[in-house]
Amino acid sequence: MNTLVVLLLILFGGGIIAYFAYNIHKIVGDIWLVLVGFAASIYYIGYLDVSQVLNIHLAGFVLTLALNSFSWIFGLLIAVLLPLVALYSIPYMKGQDRLGWFYMLFLFSVGGMYGILMAGDWLTLFIFWEIMTWSSYLIVIYRRSEDAPRVGLKYLIFSAIGAYSLLTAIVLIGANVHSLSISKFFEVLPMHSLGFKVLVGSLMLIGFGVKAAVMPLHVWAPDAYSTTPMNYTSMFSGALSKMGIYGIGLIVINLYYHSGISLAGEIVAWFGAITAVLATYYALIQKDAKRLMAWSSVAQLGYIVAGLGIGTKLSVFAGIYLAVLHGLFKANLFMAIGAVERQAGTTNFSELRALIRKMPWTFFSALISVIVLAGIPPLSGFVGKWMLYESMITSGHYVIVVFLFLASVAGFLYAFRFLFGVFLGQEEKEFEHVKEANPFMTVPMLLIALFLIVLGTFPGIMFKYIARSMADLGFYGVTYKMSVLTNDWGQSINMQYIAASLVIVFVLFLIVLTWVAYKNSRNVTTKDIHTSGEPPSEEDNYHFSENFYRPFQRAFAFVYKYAITPVYNEFARGIEDFFQYVRRLYTGNAQTYALYVLLFLAILFLIAKNIH
Amino acid sequence: MNRAFNDRESQKILDIIKNFARKNSLFILAYGTGCGAIEIPPTITSRYDAERFGIRGAATPRQADVLLITGYLSVKTLKRVIRAYEQMQDPKYVMGFGSCTINGGMYWDSYNTIKQLDKYIPVDVYINGCMPRPEAVIAGFVKLQQLIQQGKALGWKHYKENLEWYRQNQQKVIKNWRMPDYNW
Amino acid sequence: MNIWNLLLSAIVTTLLGFIIGVTYMGIRRKIVALAQNRYGPPIYQNFLDILKFWSKESNIYHGVMHHLAPLWMIAMAITILLIVPTQYGSKFFENLSFNGDLILILYLMPFGQLGMALGVGQTGNPNSAIGVTRGLSLLVGSEIPFIMALIAVMIQYHTTSVTDLVRIQQEHHTWIMFSSPFAFLAALCVLPAMFHAGPYEVIIAPAELASGPMSEFGGKYLGTMMSAGSIFMFAKLTLFVDVFMGGSTNWLWLIVKTFTVYLFVIAVGIIMPRLRTEQAIRRLWGWPLVFAILAFIQVALF
Repeated sequence: MNTLVVLLLILFGGGIIAYFAYNIHKIVGDIWLVLVGFAASIYYIGYLDVSQVLNIHLAGFVLTLALNSFSWIFGLLIAVLLPLVALYSIPYMKGQDRLGWFYMLFLFSVGGMYGILMAGDWLTLFIFWEIMTWSSYLIVIYRRSEDAPRVGLKYLIFSAIGAYSLLTAIVLIGANVHSLSISKFFEVLPMHSLGFKVLVGSLMLIGFGVKAAVMPLHVWAPDAYSTTPMNYTSMFSGALSKMGIYGIGLIVINLYYHSGISLAGEIVAWFGAITAVLATYYALIQKDAKRLMAWSSVAQLGYIVAGLGIGTKLSVFAGIYLAVLHGLFKANLFMAIGAVERQAGTTNFSELRALIRKMPWTFFSALISVIVLAGIPPLSGFVGKWMLYESMITSGHYVIVVFLFLASVAGFLYAFRFLFGVFLGQEEKEFEHVKEANPFMTVPMLLIALFLIVLGTFPGIMFKYIARSMADLGFYGVTYKMSVLTNDWGQSINMQYIAASLVIVFVLFLIVLTWVAYKNSRNVTTKDIHTSGEPPSEEDNYHFSENFYRPFQRAFAFVYKYAITPVYNEFARGIEDFFQYVRRLYTGNAQTYALYVLLFLAILFLIAKNIH
Repeated sequence: MNRAFNDRESQKILDIIKNFARKNSLFILAYGTGCGAIEIPPTITSRYDAERFGIRGAATPRQADVLLITGYLSVKTLKRVIRAYEQMQDPKYVMGFGSCTINGGMYWDSYNTIKQLDKYIPVDVYINGCMPRPEAVIAGFVKLQQLIQQGKALGWKHYKENLEWYRQNQQKVIKNWRMPDYNW
Repeated sequence: MNIWNLLLSAIVTTLLGFIIGVTYMGIRRKIVALAQNRYGPPIYQNFLDILKFWSKESNIYHGVMHHLAPLWMIAMAITILLIVPTQYGSKFFENLSFNGDLILILYLMPFGQLGMALGVGQTGNPNSAIGVTRGLSLLVGSEIPFIMALIAVMIQYHTTSVTDLVRIQQEHHTWIMFSSPFAFLAALCVLPAMFHAGPYEVIIAPAELASGPMSEFGGKYLGTMMSAGSIFMFAKLTLFVDVFMGGSTNWLWLIVKTFTVYLFVIAVGIIMPRLRTEQAIRRLWGWPLVFAILAFIQVALF
């Protein structure tokens, strides 16, 4: 039997059975969910035959299922996340109702993602794209909170815009190329006119850009990411958004660079860079951990789009690397936020404080993820950032790289905001009862964190797969080393030496400092601080959480003045006014309708006469 | 190796080096308790330049070595002084400014100032006068440096050993003793 | 590369960096004192300060991150010092200079700052956290013109490695400050902000924030932090000299060059009054950014 079909069957069939399993008992459902998660993951990594192709003839169309190395790496990301998220979900979703419904949609959306990656033709891609969109939409509105309908509607509208432009592009392809096969399309593409290429490319980029949350199509993302239950958000932001990246990678590399319109790629890169900067600026003024990380997702996806848009060997390499990495660390961060939400009951920065002593493991994994996010050496985030910047500098894109640097430096601000707001600061009596999250929640997080640490010194572990996938994008002869990174000018850095130097000095001084000081060391509470001699009472709390970056906001007030949402709202209001006006056509009078019919026929007659 | 460190001679040499560093690097806690605080700016600025002796202001008790009680000390301020003193890290020194800290000075019959400072916190050096001029303050610092070099400025140890006695005295004066127990 | 040789040279470089850095700090205090018509402390004063902090007997900490905070700083400072080439052409002092480049150095700097920010955050002192947010905000101001200047240099000489830049300057007997003056000016303008000195000391404003991030650090923590700060300062000066002033072939010449640059920082610090954070950001994004853009234009045209 075809292994691709088996994988899809595991996920879709597993989803349907999960619905009934949860209706029997929660424990049965949980066991089933974890089983499905691990089965799909192990099957994907161990048993999947990449060379297999399946053609289904259906109503005159040929639906093709085939994996290649480029899509395989995104599938690997899902395969890594799925069992961990499944484990995490057991304690996280405790006490929620309609679990069967939730997990059915959950597995459907994962199946949809695999379907997209396996799609060998545009129609299959579109079908699975819609399955993924609809199941994720239903999960967004799963929690019956106050603003869920509004958020869901926003997500649905933007997804619909994306889907329609994707469909239009597919119809155009079908009409002009007479085949819906993806590989064939890219083969015959150079023969077509420039206008066709640009039109199809732009429509597809709008379609994929919605999921990748590229500005100005990002509006849904911060709301949807923060409203959804966190266990799904970690898949949503970690894996589902990568489907947009997958599509953008296909389009930008195959359609733009291999058929000679690299300018279009540059424009895509600019969209990515501006997304990165603006989303970072919005992330650092957020008052809620979820929303902060949601904006941060938008920003990080901007980097990836910029990397793919530049289209050099190293930048695409960096783009794919960052995409996989973002999937891991952002999933981890959303899991950590979910753990905090579950244990402390809130994710609001003005209420949360000093959970570090209560939730040390969650803090540790969040810290590692944040270091990776900020791209600080010696962890894996830096490897991706280094390759991205060097590829841009060596290929002469020095204005884009300044924008990305700006986004990255401002990224330190929200990284600290998040860690400080949730885990550090002055301890509060209200959170004294808070305990570390369930091991089912912390262990998946720690596993990802551990992997991120190892990947920093030995990024070659992942380079192997990325180098293989680059061949599918038309970049042949990609070389890599275990921990030496080299740019196009021949300069290289060795992560092993850097990590060794940092770790040796750190540990050496840690031993010295602890040895010298431990005898007279005294651990004091966070109330015992310099307050000009005034002893704070038990009720006082001097935690700093309001107006965190006020001076920064003042300095960059011009950035915060503009937003895209009011523009969309204005547009929607305009449409509404327009249709209010149109509505008056329906007078209810039969004679008026008869007049319309007559007018219509007259116009039709005139047109028909003029055409010949 | 271990014996070499515990050896008396080497310990003595180590102490001499330590005390030399301590005496030549005195960070004073910028906490003006009374009118004597006005004498600190001239002491540390151009005219008298206390930085020659390594004396310099520190912003918080954690970084500071010397606590200056500049003049009269009201009961209300005493509470804050105690907290600031206890937040400082050992070894720490206290200097009493002016006659107010010695015997109450012109506030000898005031109802809300303390009369004798070393009943509440250990004082290493008193500077006489009302007010002591910057020269006198610097002379006091030099005296403190001598004491440190000789290893005699041990007020902080005395405070630790006789904590109960100090606490009794402190609580006798401060009626609303609501110091947090996480303080010490 | 022989590992023992590397270890030995690393220890020697670190010690030299420490001694020079701390002496520079002392000289700075002396110069500031002279400018204020005082005698000032002896130039070895900072050694005594560090020794005194290390000989403090009690040790107060607020938690694990607080205990680790100065270690991040010192690991970062020493690693940067090892990556920055101190001696051109010296086999012994090669250290890690062939294993890192400019982008790595730029990204290593936040390693220490983040670590310290975490420790600072755990103390629970609001002043410290305010200081950290100011520092991070200022980082956005200073980093962008500096990075633009460095990118201009990188593109002009087709290398991202500091060692290569030094080699090019030494072989051509020129300094980049003459061949790309706008990049040099941009970097020079933001240099005081990189040192948190001069008008950009709002982060540690002692009278206002109680020395900001450091306010809960005392004793051995502060001692380690001061040592790390000194080494870091010398590493930054060496980086600047390497990139713009031709590096050096011996320690004496390096000291002369770095001290000249440091003198500029001190002078600016003495003359200029402190700026508020947003003023500082605006100032850093004013002329330095103009110079950086001019540097880009220079690269694009020539």
